[in-house]
Amino acid sequence: MIRLAIKDLRLFASDRRAIILSFVVPIALVTLFAFAFGGVGQKKGESRPATIVIADEDKSEASINVIAKLDSLKELEVYQTTRDSAEAMVKKGDETAVLVFHKGFADSVNAGTKLPVEFEYDASKEAEVGILQGSLIGNLMGIIGGKSMAKEAIANFDKENPSIEEDSRKRIHEQITQNFSSGETKKQSASFITSTPLIAEKQNSPGLIHAVAGTSVMMLLFSVVGMGVSLLDEKEQGTLKKLLYSPIRPDTILFGKMLYVNLISIFQLVIMFIFAKLAFGLDIMPHLTSLILMIIATAYACSSFGVLLASIAKSRQQVQAFSTLIVMIMSCIGGSMIPSFAMPVFMQKMSVFSVNYWSIQGFYDIFWRMLPLQDSTFLSRLVVLVLIGTTLNIIALIMFRRNILKIA
Amino acid sequence: MITVFNLCKSYDSIEALKGISFDIQKGEFYGLLGPNGAGKTTTISILSTILKPDQGEVTIAGFDLQKNPMECKKHIGVVPQELALYNDLTAYANLQFWGSLYDISATTLNTRIDETLHLFGLYDRRNDKVKTYSGGMKRRINIASALLHRPDVLFMDEPTVGIDPQSRNLIFEVMEKLHKEGMTIVYTTHYMEEAERLCNRIGIIDKGRIIAQGTLDELKSSSDIDETIMITFSNLTDTHYDRLAESFDVSKAGDHAIRFISKAVQRDLSVIILKCHEAGLDITDVSIQKINLETIFLRLTGKQLRD
Ligand SMILES: Nc1ncnc2c1ncn2[C@@H]1O[C@H](COP(=O)(O)OP(=O)(O)OP(=O)(O)O)[C@@H](O)[C@H]1O
Ligand SMILES: [Mg+2]
Repeated sequence: MIRLAIKDLRLFASDRRAIILSFVVPIALVTLFAFAFGGVGQKKGESRPATIVIADEDKSEASINVIAKLDSLKELEVYQTTRDSAEAMVKKGDETAVLVFHKGFADSVNAGTKLPVEFEYDASKEAEVGILQGSLIGNLMGIIGGKSMAKEAIANFDKENPSIEEDSRKRIHEQITQNFSSGETKKQSASFITSTPLIAEKQNSPGLIHAVAGTSVMMLLFSVVGMGVSLLDEKEQGTLKKLLYSPIRPDTILFGKMLYVNLISIFQLVIMFIFAKLAFGLDIMPHLTSLILMIIATAYACSSFGVLLASIAKSRQQVQAFSTLIVMIMSCIGGSMIPSFAMPVFMQKMSVFSVNYWSIQGFYDIFWRMLPLQDSTFLSRLVVLVLIGTTLNIIALIMFRRNILKIA
Repeated sequence: MITVFNLCKSYDSIEALKGISFDIQKGEFYGLLGPNGAGKTTTISILSTILKPDQGEVTIAGFDLQKNPMECKKHIGVVPQELALYNDLTAYANLQFWGSLYDISATTLNTRIDETLHLFGLYDRRNDKVKTYSGGMKRRINIASALLHRPDVLFMDEPTVGIDPQSRNLIFEVMEKLHKEGMTIVYTTHYMEEAERLCNRIGIIDKGRIIAQGTLDELKSSSDIDETIMITFSNLTDTHYDRLAESFDVSKAGDHAIRFISKAVQRDLSVIILKCHEAGLDITDVSIQKINLETIFLRLTGKQLRD
């Protein structure tokens, strides 16, 4: 098996076209995309409503009221849950930000002091955060801020102190109004709510990660098909038949091919990330273990795809026609071209059917979300990739056995 | 060394083998001689374990082919009819790869590769990619790659198709050398000269059946003919041929020639020439041939080996 793989590696090394396709083209594309997405992917205007997760720890009339008003806004979709689960969602990358209404919200509305509302966000999702933050602050200001806030405070005061003397009541009312006077609120608006990044912003720009991960996986799929096709070349050259004359088990021929494709794939991804580090300063060092695991899992899943195509197809032409289409579709829905979060919802749902999605999300986990190796989200991506790879490999083996009898 | 009994194989509608049986002793150079589509490649494919027969039994080196294909594979070397090499690798790398599939130590393999390259006169070109080789050189490497594990039995399926005379001679010399060293060789061809020169036993195969078998002498003596007279005419037509066929044992040899089969040339020749004159035929050439495989085949099947 190893000998078969070595032979294929030698053949690969002698094939200038394959080398260019596997290394030079992807590097060129990454460079291109890195510049295209540049520092950031900010420019993507979202048309669908942004989702904000809200954790209401105050549970007062005031907080419930404000949340209901936010919910009624067209541009915001509100989802309420506990703070812990909300923060977990953001950390996993499922949600962009949480708005936490801390205890004492109502009191501070009454008192007119700085509101204990906290905006906790995933700084890696700059574009989405920006949109959310803008819309939230604006709306909150509208709902709570200024006069409405003063009115509410007065009403609240009246309700809580029904038996106060009319004189002092008036004086207090004036004071409250003053507290919420325009000058005061303006000063507050900058720090109107507290913003806390749950996931730190990195030096690794999301645009860069997207360019590297998305392009690498897509190009890997292309080159993996090319390598898988060498199985069909062997069939056409007659060398496959000749291999069958020798005392190696027929399955070994396929395993040798798989080994070869995996080795080149891993090598290709490694080169891509090293290039990204050298050329764009992608910070790979702190996440080396996760990165290596992700590279292996991605290589494994992608390789199996190439080998499967080769063992199903009858001829080189057939593979080439189909594979380009399939790779393009997978890359498109999987987020190799446009980041998943910028795609329409139905496409996001379909993206789970592509190898690209799981790999790219895995790389995002590593570089954007900075999830630790043990994190269940990250591990689940690895598991999915390995499962995809194993399933496709098994199908490939079955198809290979079925087809190989026809070859002879 | 090899026993084959009642081998049958059909491809969809075509019955390629209709019950083939033969035995090959250790050290024999066995020729399977037959025209295109006779079933030579099919037979070799079955013997080399890559094709399953519909029926029949085969043993190679004492191992049952169906029950123990892996053992059989270790004892055989196969030179396929089509070239099967990695064109982008050097000759040396090709040999190294094919040899590495067998259980040979690296050092043994390397010495054998060098020996084999010398044997086939390709040592100087060993580091060139196979795609830069001529057809004859590729053929030589193709054969060399089947010899590295020193197989007990070598199957060769028309190894000299489309080859220059120089390479062909070299291959023949190597084959004869291997035969002398005791290798059992099964050689298919539709060139009777090759079979006559190389093989010590010949099976004539046609339409999926072995129609005659034996040493060259046995085949000759079992035949009822002695010599053939080939006459070429300038104005041969079908009517002429039909007329001559009424009085002689004849067969066509191309558009302008007729082959007359004879048991006594001295007696028959004058009669034949006279008849041809009577028929109004202009003779341009007369040649007398001793019996050979070609004529035996012709006799057995009524057709020529090469179409
Ligand atoms: N894969 C196949 N599918 C269908 N029919 C086949 C196949 N291989 C061979 N045949 C048929 O089986 C018969 C025997 O073919 P085979 O290749 O054994 O002949 P051969 O003696 O090797 O001929 P040649 O001298 O042309 O190599 C032919 O009629 C051929 O058409
Ligand atoms: Mg043949």
